Amino acid sequence: MKVFFEQYFDFHIMGEHFGEGFEAFLQNVLIFVVAGVIALIWGLVLALLRQAPGKKFAPVRFLTIAYIDVLRAIPLLIIILMISGGVPFLTFIPKDIRIPEWLGKPDPFWYGVAGLVFVYGAYTAEVYRAGIEAVPKGQMEAARSLGMSHFQAMRLVIVPQGVTKIPAPMLNELISLLKDTTLVSVIAFGESVLVSREILAEQLNSSALTLTAAFFLVICLPGARLVDYLIKRNQGKISRGAHIEVA
Amino acid sequence: MAEPMLQLKGVHKRYGQLEVLKGVDLDVAKGEVICILGPSGSGKSTLLRCVNLLEPPEQGEIFLEGKDICKGPGSGTGESSWNLDFVRQRVGMVFQQFNLFPHKSVLENVTLAPQKVLGKSKREAEEKGRALLERVGLGDRLSQYPETLSGGQQQRVAIARALAMEPHVMLFDEVTSALDPELVKEVLDTMRELAEEGMTMLVVTHEIGFAREVGDQVVFMDGGVVVEQGDPKAVLDHPKEERTQKFLGLVLER
Repeated sequence: MKVFFEQYFDFHIMGEHFGEGFEAFLQNVLIFVVAGVIALIWGLVLALLRQAPGKKFAPVRFLTIAYIDVLRAIPLLIIILMISGGVPFLTFIPKDIRIPEWLGKPDPFWYGVAGLVFVYGAYTAEVYRAGIEAVPKGQMEAARSLGMSHFQAMRLVIVPQGVTKIPAPMLNELISLLKDTTLVSVIAFGESVLVSREILAEQLNSSALTLTAAFFLVICLPGARLVDYLIKRNQGKISRGAHIEVA
Repeated sequence: MAEPMLQLKGVHKRYGQLEVLKGVDLDVAKGEVICILGPSGSGKSTLLRCVNLLEPPEQGEIFLEGKDICKGPGSGTGESSWNLDFVRQRVGMVFQQFNLFPHKSVLENVTLAPQKVLGKSKREAEEKGRALLERVGLGDRLSQYPETLSGGQQQRVAIARALAMEPHVMLFDEVTSALDPELVKEVLDTMRELAEEGMTMLVVTHEIGFAREVGDQVVFMDGGVVVEQGDPKAVLDHPKEERTQKFLGLVLER
């Protein structure tokens, strides 16, 4: 048992590498924030394109659905590896985009962000869709009957209502996104998993990984509780709403 | 007779195999109130939805102020086009389920479309909105949200919202069917006032009393066609067609 604790819970090693580990974790948080913000916007764009009306937009709808389905079906790790391994060699793309080093961050950071945005845009698009579809059909009809265009109705009436219905599933996606930022370690970006693995290789001890796991736990566990709370609150709302309908 | 406000000629609408409207003809003069009765599934709601192109008809012609609204770049697909704007700015609609915007206050419900669609200033839209809400008896509820209102109050807001677009024709789709009995009157009274002011109205309803009193004409529909049409007293008291007699017998028995 002693061996077990020494392997995973060596507080000496944890203490020695705490600062280093924490800083590396902040890199995960940074990837999360940048990728999260862009993915939330990209997902909404995808969701709106998927709902675009009429024959004219049929090809757009088809392409959007294809994108969402394909990106959700491929392992994120493969996407990240394909971007970082291939994009630098696509010489038809301007160098600043092909090998991005914006805001003082190295190119693996941006390849990681790109992979996460591509995939999580698809995931969040589905969450938005659920929100949009949960808005009663009469809302769109009322907006259209008042002369609004489809996109005006979406922007002014449907989306503002739809997003209030999805905080719980969206938070789930974000928790998942935070955890998946560790995949960027495979393309040699110095985030927490990469740093802990270096310590593991040096010391033949996993305690640094335990420490990193603890960092994620501290953020994600309250997040999961919050999701539960939001779901409960939302159910309360629905039953109250039903009551109003009857009353 | 002057050119009718609204004229339907052989309007057909089907959903897949199901033919809901099988050739409907209807003339509506300016200022006329037409009450449409009929059993559920008779196509009366679909007819209203065809008139404002929420469900564009597949066949037939609908003339609004002399213009064929079914012809145009977007006809048959519900796409934006000149006729869609033309129609939606002239035809207001009130729904059975009110369909107020729950995330907007009462006043915002009424001022949103005038600002965003007609390009009115906020001040102008609010001035008009206040006056309209005053008129439907809700001038003291401006900043409340729809869920805090009774069904009857919500429906009156919905009427004010439609009127804010200054329509020439108003469509009412079973607007009292979702209301508790004691709330029906306040909505019907609002509609009666509107009729007295000369609004052209198409009213799908089960309120026989309203049809008799306010309607200039009663149209009885069944199976996707107009079965009988005419003066309210004639149709309601002395229906010629067997289907009308049967329906009225069932409704008035209650």
